[in-house]
Amino acid sequence: MSTSSRNPMKDQVAFAGAATTGFSAHNTDRTPLSLAAEACSKLLRECGLKASDIDGICGPSSVSAGDLQNTLGIPELTWWSNPPIPFVNQVIQAASAVHAGVCDTVLVYHVPYRHAFFTASALRDPFRRVMPAIAPGGNPDTMWGPIGYTAWASRYIHEYNVPKERFGLVAINDRSNAQDNPGAAMREPMTMDDYMSARMVRWPLCLLDMDVPVDGADAFIITTTERARDLPFSPVMINAAVLGMVDANVEDQTVSLEHHGHHVVAKALKAKSDFWIDDIDVYFPYDGFTIITLNWLENIGFCGRGEAGDFLAANWDAEKNRILINGRIPVNPHGGALSEGGSQGSGHIREAIHQLQGRAGVRQVANARRTMVTAGGFFYNAQGLALHRD
Amino acid sequence: MSRSISDSDLVSTFAHLGIDRDSAAHYAGRLEHLLLINRCGECSTYHHPPRPMCPKCWSTDVAATEVTGDGVIDLLIFLHQGPQAPGVDYSTPYPVASVALDEQAGLRFTATVIGSPNEEIAIGQRVTLDWFDRAGVPTPAFRLVGGAA
Ligand SMILES: [Zn+2]
Repeated sequence: MSTSSRNPMKDQVAFAGAATTGFSAHNTDRTPLSLAAEACSKLLRECGLKASDIDGICGPSSVSAGDLQNTLGIPELTWWSNPPIPFVNQVIQAASAVHAGVCDTVLVYHVPYRHAFFTASALRDPFRRVMPAIAPGGNPDTMWGPIGYTAWASRYIHEYNVPKERFGLVAINDRSNAQDNPGAAMREPMTMDDYMSARMVRWPLCLLDMDVPVDGADAFIITTTERARDLPFSPVMINAAVLGMVDANVEDQTVSLEHHGHHVVAKALKAKSDFWIDDIDVYFPYDGFTIITLNWLENIGFCGRGEAGDFLAANWDAEKNRILINGRIPVNPHGGALSEGGSQGSGHIREAIHQLQGRAGVRQVANARRTMVTAGGFFYNAQGLALHRD
Repeated sequence: MSRSISDSDLVSTFAHLGIDRDSAAHYAGRLEHLLLINRCGECSTYHHPPRPMCPKCWSTDVAATEVTGDGVIDLLIFLHQGPQAPGVDYSTPYPVASVALDEQAGLRFTATVIGSPNEEIAIGQRVTLDWFDRAGVPTPAFRLVGGAA
């Protein structure tokens, strides 16, 4: 089927604000619900909203909409949902519900959390051990889930003869940017030597190729653009939002790095949005694994197949030790999943909103008006979001 | 298809691999040292993992069908850490390969590689199917044949 440009929701729905608890790479003594409640109450205060102004709730299944409503004392909801991450899915569902008139103002949240599956130290926390398992265990003979990215990183290196240092540029960019983000979990400077000598986890990817498991929460308000104009911060309009998936979506059956969910997102987002990569002021490619960022840069059209590493080297800001595309466009200025913390896209979207609202502090990109978030990975969770302000 | 093992025993043997009714025949095949991949009776297309319908023609006439297990390594990783599994300690990184099977372009099966030092295993190499026992359960694996393809 041909890619549709139909997009009746375009600019009708907006983010009114975003807030975060900040992320920690250590086990907190907090539940996911406690972190979500902190981020949400902080945001509602900042936006001057009362509990009764909210009539929709949307977040991941780790904190149910009902538990959050009950905790925040939100009197009545006409819509709620707990769809799967990554986080553009929450955004699309909430925006669609607003646009359809099922509700007017949605409190959207995410809770990155150090689940027992992720790290040995998380596994030592008895409260985390009794949480429902989020991944199957006991079978090493698989390319399931996160392992699939390692598999395709190995294929990428094989096909394009890319030196591992090129992957390191993605990690170093995030770490350099995180130094300006007090809410980031990992802020110590990282050198290429640090990267190259990091502990190998699943060859060819090492610890610093993988996002940092964190405790924290982000909160967002999604409402009509009209309603957002009456709130304190400038509305960040959703110009286009899509998900992307192809039929060969099982990790080890993916056709190639030239045919997966990213390509569906790139086509559909381009067809539905009013601006493209040359028009944006800051870019947010997903970076749960370094290979995903390299492949996004190629798949969204910044460079050709296998060229992302060379593209980063050619667009490197040596002074700040970070990426600056065409000397102008920073990439993941908050530090991304690799250094701010693994947030399944919510950190990228929160920073995108803060940048467009002029609220990014020392990280502020001058006159940022347009941005794109290309979230998720190759197999069953690619996503895209084009955001802008007046 | 009749099986010599009860559903209950089959499920408990392969519960950790996520067995369900659609993949039961594949796992039952393992007990006989047979690598069975779903194949469509209408259009002859293979698919994996096992689905209840042929993705190509929507025929429900799909049957777990023996393949040779010969092919070429397409994807390859070495686990320096990983899930607990009998006989796997990761002190020697554990190879996992997705092999493009000769039976059909793009059809892959994922298993470990046995019988060669890690330095000799690489993408592009030809392999053949072999089996080993993990906690008494026959487990498919690949073994290098000849030189690189
Ligand atoms: Zn068929």
